[in-house]
Amino acid sequence: MSTTIEVGESSSRKIAKEKTPLIGAPKRGGGWKKGVAIMDFILRLGAIAAALGAAATMSMADQTLPFFTQFLQFEASYDNFSAFQFFVISMAFVGGYLVLSLPFSIVTIIRPHAVGPRLFLIILDMVFLTLATASAAAAAAIVYLAHNGDQDSNWLAICNQFTDFCQQTSGAVISAFVSVVLLLFLVIMTAVALRSH
Amino acid sequence: MSTTIDVAESSHNNVSKGKATIVGTPKRPGGWKKGVSIMDFIVRLGAIASTIGAIATMANADQTLPFFNQFVQFEASYDSFSAFQFFVITLALVSGYLVLSLPISIVAIVRPHAVGPRIFLIILDTIFLTLATSSAGAAASIVFLEHNGEQDPNWLAICNQYGTFCMQTSEAVISSFLAVVSFIIIIIINTLALGKH
Repeated sequence: MSTTIEVGESSSRKIAKEKTPLIGAPKRGGGWKKGVAIMDFILRLGAIAAALGAAATMSMADQTLPFFTQFLQFEASYDNFSAFQFFVISMAFVGGYLVLSLPFSIVTIIRPHAVGPRLFLIILDMVFLTLATASAAAAAAIVYLAHNGDQDSNWLAICNQFTDFCQQTSGAVISAFVSVVLLLFLVIMTAVALRSH
Repeated sequence: MSTTIDVAESSHNNVSKGKATIVGTPKRPGGWKKGVSIMDFIVRLGAIASTIGAIATMANADQTLPFFNQFVQFEASYDSFSAFQFFVITLALVSGYLVLSLPISIVAIVRPHAVGPRIFLIILDTIFLTLATSSAGAAASIVFLEHNGEQDPNWLAICNQYGTFCMQTSEAVISSFLAVVSFIIIIIINTLALGKH
């Protein structure tokens, strides 16, 4: 059993060598990674809304009670509480980062198989997830105290008097936790999409 | 110019088909990914130590002042504060997860190029990072209040009286933030090992 392969000699004079223009690497289909990138972009927009909404709501939390004594007027504002100040600043940071990361998210949509932008996004997303979670939890602890007080340390529950302030701060904390969940989904989706085949 | 390729017919009778045994894919050297997995394992052990240390310190935080009046004995304990109870329970969950994830981390050391264990670790690590950060943040908020008080709702800084209790809770919170940093480190190195060849 034998195979014969005969290839004739080619002469460089007879064949006109044409040059084919180099177009570039053929584009592979985006597939599911492109879908993940698009969903990443949409979730990022949602997280921007949640984070900036939380910062805005908290920074506008202010209530002055309609009665006052001779010496002081009862007012509660977000900047009376250090945890709320920290909350506003850090949620503003998180919202700002999410806005600045939108171009990187668009790059991952255009080039679904590139590893660099996704790696960059997942690491920074995780860092800002931690920041958002810590600030949301700190504000949540204060809001819980404001609702319930604490008997042993004689910290009074101020929500009974300042109901509007309480509502605004609670709403801000809930919005911050929504942004935390969205950031969590973003990190998990990017990790799954990073699998190199 | 033409090329001729003649491939003769193959007959089944003359060729004895031998069977080559498949030994298995050759093992690629682990390389830097194995180093990453080993570092992940070591940092995970450190995170377990700091989490359990935080739980133990917080659960033992208890101080009774040596004076008392007719009605009440002054005692501060961790279960006076809901945030500290949440802290202990959540960190117990986190430390349980870390212990259960040690075998998966060992699998990632043995098979450095396998994608499955790493993805599993990254996703679960992110979820428990969020849990650990929120409990650490809430407890930190209460510890900050203990140290500084809050003027407007007239929450007194109880650290001035309960010195030992204050120190114990502060140490527990610091230890839990070490665990959070460990989580961030292991997630980042696992992501780098996942994304790069």
